[in-house]
Amino acid sequence: MTDMSNHASRISLFEVDPRTRRRNAAEKRFRAYGATAICIAVIALVLLVGTILRDGSGAFRQTYLSMPVALSAEKLDPKGNRDPAEMSKVLTLAYGRVLDDALDAAVAQMDTQIEGLSEKDMTGLVSKEASAQLRDRVLADPELVGQTVDVNVLVNGRIDGYFKGRVSKESAERDSNTSPQQLMLADALAEDGVLVTRFNREFITNPDASDQRPEAAGVGIAILGSLYMMLVVLFLSVPIGVAASIYLEEFAPKNRLTDIIEVNISNLAAVPSIVFGILGLAVFINFAGLPQSAPIVGGLVLTLMTLPTIIISTRAALKAVPPSIRDAALGVGASKMQSVFHHVLPLAMPGIMTGTILGLAQALGETAPLLLIGMVAFVREFPAAPPEGLFDPASALPVQVYNWTQRSDPAFVERASGAIIILLIFLLCMNLLAIFLRRKFERRW
Amino acid sequence: MYDTTRTESAVSQQDIKISARNVQVYYGEKHAIKDVNVEILDKTVTAFIGPSGCGKSTFLRCINRMNDTIDIARIEGEIRIDGDDIYDRRVDPVQLRAKVGMVFQKPNPFPKSIFDNVAYGPRIHGLARNKAELDEIVEKSLRGAALWSEVKDRLHEPGTGLSGGQQQRLCIARAVATAPEVLLMDEPCSALDPIATGQVEELIDQLREQFSVVIVTHSMQQAARVSQKTAFFHLGNLVEYGDTDDIFTKPSDSRTEAYISGRIG
Repeated sequence: MTDMSNHASRISLFEVDPRTRRRNAAEKRFRAYGATAICIAVIALVLLVGTILRDGSGAFRQTYLSMPVALSAEKLDPKGNRDPAEMSKVLTLAYGRVLDDALDAAVAQMDTQIEGLSEKDMTGLVSKEASAQLRDRVLADPELVGQTVDVNVLVNGRIDGYFKGRVSKESAERDSNTSPQQLMLADALAEDGVLVTRFNREFITNPDASDQRPEAAGVGIAILGSLYMMLVVLFLSVPIGVAASIYLEEFAPKNRLTDIIEVNISNLAAVPSIVFGILGLAVFINFAGLPQSAPIVGGLVLTLMTLPTIIISTRAALKAVPPSIRDAALGVGASKMQSVFHHVLPLAMPGIMTGTILGLAQALGETAPLLLIGMVAFVREFPAAPPEGLFDPASALPVQVYNWTQRSDPAFVERASGAIIILLIFLLCMNLLAIFLRRKFERRW
Repeated sequence: MYDTTRTESAVSQQDIKISARNVQVYYGEKHAIKDVNVEILDKTVTAFIGPSGCGKSTFLRCINRMNDTIDIARIEGEIRIDGDDIYDRRVDPVQLRAKVGMVFQKPNPFPKSIFDNVAYGPRIHGLARNKAELDEIVEKSLRGAALWSEVKDRLHEPGTGLSGGQQQRLCIARAVATAPEVLLMDEPCSALDPIATGQVEELIDQLREQFSVVIVTHSMQQAARVSQKTAFFHLGNLVEYGDTDDIFTKPSDSRTEAYISGRIG
């Protein structure tokens, strides 16, 4: 015994024994692993956001021909009575000619002339959507006919792409939809100040456009559709989810039945979302007869999907409230319900709200079930205001992204990335709201 | 001191407030309380002592039916308060708990203001008809808990911001505010420092004038200091019950003697 203590005292504290050295090395290694993992995560995030921003920022800028257009009365209102019913018989083709004339006039005013410029290059410069937009504008205000008005005319997606670096003169050589001459004309027009690139508000407000008109496509209906679905989810899943959690956590007896319910709720959270889509298709559309592509159906399906998330997070929040608070309330003679609603629920509120908002954010980004209930349809008509609008066809942001990535024109890739940016901004806002609410409510002890 | 306690206990020989007959408590398969019979007097401090896990807290929680909240707990026998069996089907446990206040081991003020903490009970039981009456009850309760002078200027600050001893006295004030007839205290001083403990003990002695106080404690010194009657629990049995002086000076059971002399527990 004495020998041992003598032996131990011989080792100086300045010497690190092998065991300690091994321990320190292991700790150092572990820290390095952690730092590496975080670095990889940060790099992945930067790459992801960087790529999306690079590809998608173009969607928020749009090239227009900003030129005076003479709205010739003989072409647009042959009868001359400015009657919208009569005027609506004039097709977009006539408006296309009006725009072509305006472009001709603008080109004629230029100093430089482009060699080998064909008629097709000239007319192809203008987007096919532009004449339809002009027609809508004139039909809305027939008095414009006969006047010369300044119009921002959408240009073809290729020309738009040229100013965003997506199209070059070399690629135009091989492209049947554009030509180097057309691009040179575009350069010349840009120099003259006729061709301008500015912020693309229409991307946020416009409906989707057909395959040939990427320059006119917007996420307006998709945003509205997603918003309507979130309203449905909020109004259904929060009350149902919170009520179910409170009952299960605070009131339900702990027996085999509640155990089975608990396990199944957890399982429900793990069910692939497309299964909920099939369920929605079978129950809400085929059985209940609700319309396809409608936000109400999307909202109901997403409610089913969000419920387990909300129930699980709410129960966790309720469980985190110290039992001593329940005892205290019961101890002064509060009923079970008073103890829950006066004391437990307010304390669990930040957790419940965070869980709910994260559940909603998850629902906002969900695509698969919406494909099955027809939200992928091509919708041009804006849905009405809720509640009727909930039954009108609409799209949804993630579905719109999916839809656009399916299309051949590379301009749609830019639109899809732009829509992703909008979706991410919404998600970011929801997460910020969750953080804000948590902070705000936690400040009240 | 010896003499004074003896006279005090002599004075408080009066009505039986709580009487327990053949009380059995089961937690699932576990028989936690075995056939306890005890009579607790009004306007007296009764201490429950015994080693950990002996069932003293369990029995205390039977008196205001807090064990009802535990699903697996099953109680047999009868506990009468002023002659009424509290486990009778007609008794509403919520109403009972307003009459039998409880103070817990760990100070557990609500995360609300000091005022709201005390006012909560009177509010839910409708004890005050208006704001002035409520103010009066709160002041009276805080005075009763010897806390008024310390908090009167900050009634609207959070109760959780007080020190441990103050929090526990706030919990006592909260329990007192519903005008209970019995006050149950489950190791009220175990989370407190000696000074705070002293204040709470002094308070318990004052509270005795108004109601029957039952206190569970780990500290035999505390039981000796504050109580007139002491019950010794061991392994779910009530081993010995009697005047505090007798229990500590001439215990009749060998287990009691072993415990108070520090050989078991």
